[in-house]
Amino acid sequence: MNWSRAGFSALIFLFFFIVQESAVSKINFPISGFSIYLCAVLGLMSLEDRFGAIALGFIGGFILDLSPSSDSPFGKWAFILTIVGYLFSRNRESIGDFTERPLAFVLFVTAGATVTLTIFLLGGVILGENNGAFLVNIRTIFGNAIWTLLFSSILLPGLIKLRRFTLTSRERI
Amino acid sequence: MAAGGNNRSRLLLVLLLVTSLFLITLDLRGVSITKNSRTATQSFLAPIQRGVSDLFSPVGNFFSDVKNFGKTKAELKDLKKENAKLREKVIFNKDTLGELTKLKSVLDLAGRGNYKVVSARVIGKGSASTFSQTITIDAGSNDGIKKDMTVIGEFGLVGVVKSATSTSAIVLLMNDPTFRIGVRIARSQSIGVLMGEGDNIYTLQLLDPSGSIEKDDVLLSLGSDNNKPFVPGVPVGYVKSVKNTSATLTQEAIVGSYSNLGSLGVVSVIISSANGGPKDALIPKPMPTPTTTIYVTQPPEPATSTPSATPTSTTTPQKAKN
Repeated sequence: MNWSRAGFSALIFLFFFIVQESAVSKINFPISGFSIYLCAVLGLMSLEDRFGAIALGFIGGFILDLSPSSDSPFGKWAFILTIVGYLFSRNRESIGDFTERPLAFVLFVTAGATVTLTIFLLGGVILGENNGAFLVNIRTIFGNAIWTLLFSSILLPGLIKLRRFTLTSRERI
Repeated sequence: MAAGGNNRSRLLLVLLLVTSLFLITLDLRGVSITKNSRTATQSFLAPIQRGVSDLFSPVGNFFSDVKNFGKTKAELKDLKKENAKLREKVIFNKDTLGELTKLKSVLDLAGRGNYKVVSARVIGKGSASTFSQTITIDAGSNDGIKKDMTVIGEFGLVGVVKSATSTSAIVLLMNDPTFRIGVRIARSQSIGVLMGEGDNIYTLQLLDPSGSIEKDDVLLSLGSDNNKPFVPGVPVGYVKSVKNTSATLTQEAIVGSYSNLGSLGVVSVIISSANGGPKDALIPKPMPTPTTTIYVTQPPEPATSTPSATPTSTTTPQKAKN
């Protein structure tokens, strides 16, 4: 992973962050809301090697930490998504190339979003934050998983194409 | 080579985790750089949210509209034909009228409480992934809004200002898990603490073990020093049920909110309050129950003395007997 790809990925994250904060958050989804941002971050992370996934996890988390609506300490998302990036890269190696297995890709991203939100909640418990009612949190995670499952199948092919622009000719081979 | 790559990844992982923990420590110690970065993001996002809000207002409730679509399909078909030309105008008018109605109610509540308020439109909602319940409003420090000011809706308390930029502000909603407010039960004057639970359910914990609490009790805000963050006397909610737990020292109750936090269009931020607050002036009045009065009239006896099928006169039964 080179600097230009990291920069380009950060721009993509920033775009999805603005879309999430200004548009997607305004939609009253049944069950619970959907995070297009998490879907995009996890989608791009899962296409990278171990080094890239960790780096992108940190960048993605850092941008999410900028969310004005967030009540958690600054750096918590960066911490969590860095860990998730590492976990992703470890498991991804056993699955292989996602670009040829769309169903596995969608399921992996959905599972990743669920794991990320769960770790976020557990992190909150460790830091002494008040996470609210247990059932509400379960519903939020479950709702997000369903919407991620539905929307990632539309979003991820576009992300793969976007990422191809950032690859060098050697990496494309 | 592989071992080298793994070492490089591990080094990066450790480095980034340490950086994250450093940022968390800075934030928990209250370093302004981290706080300011969120405020700067809010300033950057507010104009975009404002623009998107105008475009997105009809789309926001798309899913709930779809749910009810089947029921009114036939009706919609007729209405579509009739209103095709005027639809755009009607949507705009409805949106404006809805906002006006809410604004009128909010201002009415503020007027009765002698509050000086700044009204604002809701232009954004907190992201689902953050687990916090917030909204963004289109008024900020330029309008006199500061951190820790009470925010009310058309029926009562909505939340408290969490942060403000020059043109926008973030409001922490009362259903956020971190939200706490001191409340007074209007009937018994017992005081307690109301806590958000992340949904439209709240928990009330009485401070006085001998305090009295009953179903349908009205809760008003207790108020804070210098009215920050809460002004006194704002309707907060009503007791839905009292928890019967012998294990706890104090009584607890499940509370419902007066404000519908899911459909906030317009809210008001209380800039200042009259000395002493409105006391109990803002206790919601019970809705009058409509009663139907039925007058029974006996039909006049015809010449043939057979009873008529339809009532034709308003003579009273007594008169008819005569």
